Amino acid sequence: MKEIMIITLPNSDLVTEYLSQFSKLVIEIAEKRSIIVKKLKGKDLSKKEFEKVLKNVQSNFVFLNGHGSETKIFGNKDEPILVEGENDYLLAEKITYARSCDAGYSLGKSIVKLGKETCFIGYDLPFEFYYDINWIGNPLRDKIAFLFFDPSNLIPLSILKGNTSSEADKKSKNALLKNINKVIKEKSPEAFTIASSLWNNYSGQIVLGNKNAKLNL
Amino acid sequence: MKEKENEEINEEIKKLVIARIDAQVSSNLRLSIGSHGSLSKEEMIERVKKGDEIGKKIIKSHLTFMRSLANGEITKALVSIE
Repeated sequence: MKEIMIITLPNSDLVTEYLSQFSKLVIEIAEKRSIIVKKLKGKDLSKKEFEKVLKNVQSNFVFLNGHGSETKIFGNKDEPILVEGENDYLLAEKITYARSCDAGYSLGKSIVKLGKETCFIGYDLPFEFYYDINWIGNPLRDKIAFLFFDPSNLIPLSILKGNTSSEADKKSKNALLKNINKVIKEKSPEAFTIASSLWNNYSGQIVLGNKNAKLNL
Repeated sequence: MKEKENEEINEEIKKLVIARIDAQVSSNLRLSIGSHGSLSKEEMIERVKKGDEIGKKIIKSHLTFMRSLANGEITKALVSIE
């Protein structure tokens, strides 16, 4: 049976547009590997539709992009699609990666209590990134944003390669460190401020629940 | 007295973070942090001055980096790169 990845792709502001644009690289590779990608975007990115898809699509991997808080992950604008204690049970026995601020602090912990195979990868701090306004029309060519998104993309890409959740975390963190090293060595004026945010993502990135969770590809 | 000391420390920390942002963030850069959209250099400095929720997050991010750099945590992590 083919594996299915469910992915949310909000684009109601520039920040979510960046999250979704950089997700294209993951989708492209997933589809090359014959993984079915169920995309939730536009009007389909509502709480109702999210719940419907989670209930009806047999997927073991969910990749969430969007603004977040300690207890919620949002779709477009201010609509939460995932709320602790309300519909987080839908992620039981799955691997979830949430590229959202703070959701690892409480929501992730709540999710992994729902089943022993359940795994949540996310951040218990804000997910930070810098971008260059000269590239807002073409985010994928933004070298500053790439420093942040390339390591985070390694999480879903590693999971889709059949790596365990802890291996995916390790690869991603290794890439974050390489980027910190790179920017510090370049000695540009913004090197230390960019490194601060990369280090924030490194420090805040967590794997909760089953650290050996992987897809049976 | 202690409260006053904390206030003074906080003001010093704010000044330090503002100085870092002022010196290191170029006008073409925007920071995405939290659910508050993205911030220019001037907006970051304003938030830090105000000390609101997002300002505190910016301060925390800078302080964590500086402390981790000072205590050798970052060097140790960089040495471990595979």
